[in-house]
Amino acid sequence: MRKLIALALALCLIPAAGLAAVDDRATLESLQKKINELSMELEEMSGRVDKNERHTAMDRISWYGDLRVKADTLHYKDVTASQGVFFDFADFGQRAMTGEFGALDPATGMPTDPTSAIAQFMAAYPDQAMRWATGGYASQDYFVIATPKKSDINNDILYTTRLRLGMKAEVAKNVNFSGRLLMYKNWGDSTGVKVFDSWNSFTMDGTNSGNTTGDWLRVERAYFDWKDIAGSNFYLSIGRRPSTYGPPTQYRENELRGGTPSGHLVNFNFDGITVGYKLSAHTGIEGQTVRFCYGQGFESEWGNGELFNEINTKDVHLGGFNVDALNDGTNLLQFTLFQAMDVTDGFKGVIAFPGQFAQQMAPTMWTDLQNFSNFNFVTRVQPSTNIGDITLGGIGFSREEMNGVNWFVSGGWTQADPNGKAGLFGGLLSDPVYRTALVPNGSGGQMIVPAATTDASSSKTRDGYSAYVGIQIPAPMGKLGLEYNYGSKYWTPFTQAQDDAIGGKLATRGQAGEAYYIFDVNPNMFIKIGGIYYDYKYTGSGSPVGAPVKIEDVQSGKAASMLPAIDTAWDGYASLTVKF
Amino acid sequence: MKHTAKLIACLALVAMATVAIAAEGGNPKKGKYLYKKTCKTCHVAGSEGKAMTPLSKTQAQWDRFFNKNGHPNQADSWKGLSEQDIKDINQFLFDHAADSDQPETCG
Repeated sequence: MRKLIALALALCLIPAAGLAAVDDRATLESLQKKINELSMELEEMSGRVDKNERHTAMDRISWYGDLRVKADTLHYKDVTASQGVFFDFADFGQRAMTGEFGALDPATGMPTDPTSAIAQFMAAYPDQAMRWATGGYASQDYFVIATPKKSDINNDILYTTRLRLGMKAEVAKNVNFSGRLLMYKNWGDSTGVKVFDSWNSFTMDGTNSGNTTGDWLRVERAYFDWKDIAGSNFYLSIGRRPSTYGPPTQYRENELRGGTPSGHLVNFNFDGITVGYKLSAHTGIEGQTVRFCYGQGFESEWGNGELFNEINTKDVHLGGFNVDALNDGTNLLQFTLFQAMDVTDGFKGVIAFPGQFAQQMAPTMWTDLQNFSNFNFVTRVQPSTNIGDITLGGIGFSREEMNGVNWFVSGGWTQADPNGKAGLFGGLLSDPVYRTALVPNGSGGQMIVPAATTDASSSKTRDGYSAYVGIQIPAPMGKLGLEYNYGSKYWTPFTQAQDDAIGGKLATRGQAGEAYYIFDVNPNMFIKIGGIYYDYKYTGSGSPVGAPVKIEDVQSGKAASMLPAIDTAWDGYASLTVKF
Repeated sequence: MKHTAKLIACLALVAMATVAIAAEGGNPKKGKYLYKKTCKTCHVAGSEGKAMTPLSKTQAQWDRFFNKNGHPNQADSWKGLSEQDIKDINQFLFDHAADSDQPETCG
């Protein structure tokens, strides 16, 4: 082939040199030299093309990615620690009257033996004893151990680095592989585990992409798409799903749509299956797609010590529909409806145990832990029971105007249908009921401790609502964004992987507002400066486990909260993101 | 707190200092409209112009195409377009080229 090209070139060059000079030996030599040079150049180029062809054939995955470095300044106002339990006072009263905890004087109702369990209990909690004696508690009510402590917490600077490496490969003409590896860490910590004080501090499968977990590169996404199956409009997609950063949250991320489901309802890493049908082929409406999604959120047997045959939880499955009614690059109208069945009272995960929990639930352990106040044992947590079903639905609409303004509105609804059961942390939007137990006090007698039961404080169906609106306006050097979201008392979305430092803002039971400015340095690099203000009205934002109670009730000591209750908070941030 | 304020101020300065090299392209929204109105009249499956989508070329290939003077094969096809119109179409095709960012969804 190369010889043929060289010959052709020679034939071209001969007439160009001029026939009149054919006899000129010097010219011939010059031409021969040029041909030799061109042959050598062609040979070199051929070698380079071969190398590129080989590289293209062998390099089956195309890589891309982004790196975000972010600084947050976090300020929590009126963080209240109100340790206590939801206690069955009626049961306590009945048993006390029978003398189970020690003899009582029939006339005064006071203990006759100062060493009895009830006498010691009343001595340890005199205010609570007085309130109980005067009928100040409901039959089931919060037993708050001590006067709530309120404080402000300021973390002036928190640095994080997030690296995402995307992968794409073409398996066949209609089959693609997609994946994304992710490292998300806060500076100076690669333990991979945090002391449990919030959802953000739980290292677990569903939220690893949104919570700092050290310098480990994790698989955030890995799935294939098998499109146009047998010439139809169906597609099948299986694997670790693109179920984070869905619309309309991509605007604040300054990227294209980052996931399939509504980001208002779902921002959680799932493993599952999607069967989609591209309706647009029939309706002519651009981007119209109907999807049925199925996933598994919890595997009850495998890995849970099943060989001891003490497993009493069921798998958690979820399924539902996700419809892009219109997706033409300018407008996106999305409908979402799905249900998580047999939701558990937690997930499999790893935490560093907060010693404070021992104070109320394991007093003897608490005593020993005082010798290691800065030690937290790392432990694997798994759910203990199934607590009910959660249904989620939503409608979202976003539009990108010709003048560069982008705006969206989104409404969400959640319904929790509890089954009346509870684990240590509670039932579905309910607290675990604690009843009195007697344990040895270490000096030959007995003492009263509250012991968790498997009964939930409520089994009522609870509806939650949320609204989320936002606008992004072109501005000098970039764009300005404003967002607002509201969540009602029982609002329970699956957005725990949203990577806001204080907590996923879209899970807020209360309201949150955000303002940001994005400086587009170049098409692959931007700086974002902004702030989020949270105004929490109820506890437990983002958690389906535990009863939401008013923040003011926790502050006044009327209610207890296992985790610190935050009243208001703000997060000022600045980040630099590069895409490559 | 002081450190945070300093950091934010520095980043703002960096942004302002670097904005001079920020991309100044066309309007991709307008470009999409013009692409559909103008280009898709010829570039559809089975037509003489053959099917053409933004994914048909890479970003660099689209830029090379638009940097040439006019439409090489059908010079008349760009007659009614202003310089800004062409820039808008270029921006749209560049933004959606084969090697551009794509929505990260399944299917």
